[in-house]
Amino acid sequence: MRAEPFGRSLVALQAALYDLITAPEGVARRLGELDGSPADLEALVKPSPAMTAVERLDVYANMYFYRILDVLRVEYARVVAAVGDAEFHNLITAYLTACPPAHPSLREAGARLFVFLARHPLAEERPWLVELARLERTHLELYDGPDAAALTMDEIRGSTPEAWPGLYLRAVSCHAVLRNRFTLSRAWRTLGSGDPAGAVPAVRETLLVWRQGFQVFHRVVDADEEPLLALLETGARFDTVCERLLGQVPEEEAALRAFQLLGRWVTEGLVAAPR
Amino acid sequence: MSEFPYLGHGIGLRPPHYAEVVNDRPAVDWFELITENFMVAGGNPRRVLREVRAHYPVVLHGVSLSLGSVDPLDATYLDRLAALAAETEPAWISDHLCWSSYGGHTGHDLWPLPFTEESLEHVARRVRAVQDRLGRRILVENVSSYLEYAHSTISEWEFLGELARRADCGLLLDVNNVFVSAHNHGFDPEAFLGGVPVDRVKQIHLAGHSDHGTHLLDSHDHPVCDGVWALYRSAVERFGAVSTLIERDDDIPPLSEVIAESRQAAAIEAEVLGRTRAEVAHAR
Repeated sequence: MRAEPFGRSLVALQAALYDLITAPEGVARRLGELDGSPADLEALVKPSPAMTAVERLDVYANMYFYRILDVLRVEYARVVAAVGDAEFHNLITAYLTACPPAHPSLREAGARLFVFLARHPLAEERPWLVELARLERTHLELYDGPDAAALTMDEIRGSTPEAWPGLYLRAVSCHAVLRNRFTLSRAWRTLGSGDPAGAVPAVRETLLVWRQGFQVFHRVVDADEEPLLALLETGARFDTVCERLLGQVPEEEAALRAFQLLGRWVTEGLVAAPR
Repeated sequence: MSEFPYLGHGIGLRPPHYAEVVNDRPAVDWFELITENFMVAGGNPRRVLREVRAHYPVVLHGVSLSLGSVDPLDATYLDRLAALAAETEPAWISDHLCWSSYGGHTGHDLWPLPFTEESLEHVARRVRAVQDRLGRRILVENVSSYLEYAHSTISEWEFLGELARRADCGLLLDVNNVFVSAHNHGFDPEAFLGGVPVDRVKQIHLAGHSDHGTHLLDSHDHPVCDGVWALYRSAVERFGAVSTLIERDDDIPPLSEVIAESRQAAAIEAEVLGRTRAEVAHAR
């Protein structure tokens, strides 16, 4: 029996019930940690003929956890496939204790999972899980990220060659460049098919993630493309992009390569239309 | 136009049905949108919003106002809601009689309030503040509950009626929630309907629930059951023609099945009122 009964004011009631509902080990366990008894809770919550006060509050405790778990299982489907249901359940239990949701949208409940995962024992065994989780989260964030009109090949073809050096290139905002320590491509594919991840090479890889239309894609960035993507992100003229290439490819190949990259970016919908 | 026009019989717009609704424009009177699903920057949800709004009346139904919380109202959320409403021009905006946040954290659930004078004054003050911020009256919905507080002093229906009076808001009567809570707490659902002021009810929700043996759960994963249909019939007898919506959030069936339930609601309304839907709409 608690020395002080649970308060009935709205402030006291919400403080007590939030604590009990969100406790990772359930209502009864938390009640005991608070030196409370079922009788203490029944002074606040009426039992029904079929359920004790603890059981009634447990309905809410279960809904709190499983609603969020269900959303995160979809959002991080490949992490679930990699670690299994039981480990993922435990991961989310720990995550919600450390990072309880603080945003009105359930969409944001999992926003910090990959950051949390970096400090979790699962990442000690399989450090690539952090980058896998970040890639899954990035897909979600770009799915409903900002809209932007993209430059088209027809618009480029419609301009004169003399105008091309001055063509201003700027990436649409709905993209991300992820610099990874691990090569995720194979694991992404196999986990997405429900197969084991297999070996994940500790070989650096840069991924470009972007939305075209209403679909999100990612691909590996070529070595000579990466510094140019940095230019694209801040905005640069096409002749500046060409000059940057000169340090990376033979001079006679630079122009061709620059046009290849421009064509790829425009085809992917990665270049914003001129304002 | 009335502040809360009669829209007929609608359904809740859910992601599995987005493409079919946008492409086929099914015969549905109106759609209810979950506010938070569309508080995003762009992409497919915003496209769907634009397309649906171009062809149907819509209302915004939120789950995160947390009208009963002791936390301050979330000004950022309200700003985003106001912006979404300005863009969408919904027929109305609704949320729930509950608390869902505490200490800056949110539970993403609809936790019930004790029915006391303190709660009443607290929620009425916050509803008024929300209405002032949005520049319009809102609807407040009764929730399903799985617990009762020992210190509640009035019934839920008395609370709702008094809240509507003090805050000058409308009510969204969820008939399934009445059914579920009546079962869980042992009250007469007809008494609930009889205690809610007729002139405040501007929308009705219908949904399915699941039976967990010890309690009913408002799971929205089943069709509307016979008991809820019967209670809806009583609601129409008491409240007349009220814009009515079918909700389905889990085990979501093909769109045609949800629309069929909406038509069943329309048939009950027409049968009870003895008029055609057109006459009902005109009478409002």
